Amino acid sequence: MPDAASAERQIRRGRAVTLIALLGLAVLYVMALQFTPPERTMGLVQKLYYVHPPAAYAMQLAFLTTGLCSLLYLLLRDERFDLFAEASAEVGMVMGMIVVITGPIWGRPAWGVWWAWEPRLTFTVLELLVFGGYFALRGAVRDPQERAKFAAVLGMMALVLVPFNHLTVYYFASQHPEPVALRAGKPALPFEMLRTFLTGFGVFTVLYIGLAMQRYGIGVRAAHQEVADA
Amino acid sequence: MPESGNYMIAGYIVVAVVVVGYVVNLWRRGK
Repeated sequence: MPDAASAERQIRRGRAVTLIALLGLAVLYVMALQFTPPERTMGLVQKLYYVHPPAAYAMQLAFLTTGLCSLLYLLLRDERFDLFAEASAEVGMVMGMIVVITGPIWGRPAWGVWWAWEPRLTFTVLELLVFGGYFALRGAVRDPQERAKFAAVLGMMALVLVPFNHLTVYYFASQHPEPVALRAGKPALPFEMLRTFLTGFGVFTVLYIGLAMQRYGIGVRAAHQEVADA
Repeated sequence: MPESGNYMIAGYIVVAVVVVGYVVNLWRRGK
């Protein structure tokens, strides 16, 4: 396990990266709201495009990292992977919350309904429920090594949901639109929109890194506390 | 399109509240 000083260092570094991400988020807001033209048919609500997909991508990135760290924990039995898997899953849940709240806010004016039980939306809920279960499992096991092992098995199995969720819009009759920028040929949107959209992805990547670093440091500190209490 | 604009503002407020809320939460837990 990393020493206590390294936990403090991770928290401090994570805070610095998060601060940069928050400044980036402010820039993204200005770019999206002031310097990007509204879409013709949906109007202003389409501007959620600059936060909803980047948050969904950050959620997927976080859960993917949790899955990979879980796999590495099972192979190498290094506690750092377990602690980072936990940190990443928590950040993923926060990003997921943004996705499932902004989605219906966009869906109401665009589809006429707040929610539809169609493949993409259903899979996203399923993914969040599985990772919710991941935290329930972690909370239920007291022995740190047992906990790490059980959580890693669940985290690794949940990894399957991540690419499957991404593919739902291609393989099922989904109401949710397919990617507009990430498609064969060139992106089907004007430069001003693409610029803001890609900025959103950059900002949410940095935000994920900053938050996960902080949460990892907090996890390392808690693990030390647990050892001290035992 | 004023109604569409209201949904947009609601969405952007939600993102800000969730992100800042979690940042504050981590800040307090990390103290």
